[in-house]
Amino acid sequence: MEKGEKNVMVVDDDASIINVVKKLLEPRGISVVGVTTGNECLAELENGFRGVVLMDVVMPNMDGWDTIKEIVDRGYKDRVIISMLTGKGEPDKKMDNLKEYVLDYIKKPFSSKNLVTVVEEYLGYLT
Amino acid sequence: MKPYKLVLIGASAGGPRTLKEIFTDTPRLNGSIIIVQHMPQFVNTAFCESLNSVTDLQVKIAENSESLRSGTVYLAPSSMHMSLINNMAIRLYSGEKVNFVCPSIDVTMKSVTRDEGTSTMGVILTGMGKDGAEGIRHLKNIKAVTVAQNEDTSIVYGMPHEAVLTGCIDYQLSPDQIRNKIISFLGILRERI
Repeated sequence: MEKGEKNVMVVDDDASIINVVKKLLEPRGISVVGVTTGNECLAELENGFRGVVLMDVVMPNMDGWDTIKEIVDRGYKDRVIISMLTGKGEPDKKMDNLKEYVLDYIKKPFSSKNLVTVVEEYLGYLT
Repeated sequence: MKPYKLVLIGASAGGPRTLKEIFTDTPRLNGSIIIVQHMPQFVNTAFCESLNSVTDLQVKIAENSESLRSGTVYLAPSSMHMSLINNMAIRLYSGEKVNFVCPSIDVTMKSVTRDEGTSTMGVILTGMGKDGAEGIRHLKNIKAVTVAQNEDTSIVYGMPHEAVLTGCIDYQLSPDQIRNKIISFLGILRERI
């Protein structure tokens, strides 16, 4: 993926969330890829994804925090800006060592305006 | 002689957009502002430019040994702790993580010393964990003004809550109110920098 492209990855086991985010962002010229597991997220990164990652916390097998740890350990951290996108009210202890890699935290249900504002701000950091 | 004024701000998750809200349309101010925002290193410059675009203050990434100047906002670079030397200059250094992070807000706040020539305000914004709480306790002990972002407006209330639990917070405010508090504390800078 080229520098300057506007890319967002939604990592959420609830496909309806992925669809909502696509409907909000794609009309704004933002390319959205949706994946439903941490492993699929890592595969996208291995294929060169660069952009903003909206990460759910509670997912089967590998949760959001474990996925972020893998992103860091595999050296992908310098091409993604990560915001949590989750119904979980407050972060847990698993994030203690990952704080510096999580720039934002959007709670579900989210407002459309808020989500767009956050994503556009952080996409601006990557151009 | 009027004391030199310092504002120290600590933030983590949700901090970039909260800081942007606070600094939007903020005029040049008569003192220095120091920000410790937990963030990945590769976004340091972009975040700095983003803040610079909304305020008349000069926002820059802090450099080792530089002296503090009025009307300037200093961002702590990622992966380095930042402390103040005699409340007048910046020291950056590598070190073990404190509260799981580097730079740590506690490290910066605890480096401020009591000094009749300096008047200080400490602010804790949205974020996960407890970084900044001990820094706020220290600042209160040296007679600083202390502020925590209120629960209603905090994207993550962890850090402000931990600061409040110390019993050392003077004000719990929204970003708008924090902007006004900073402006009234520092005052508007009218002369040339």
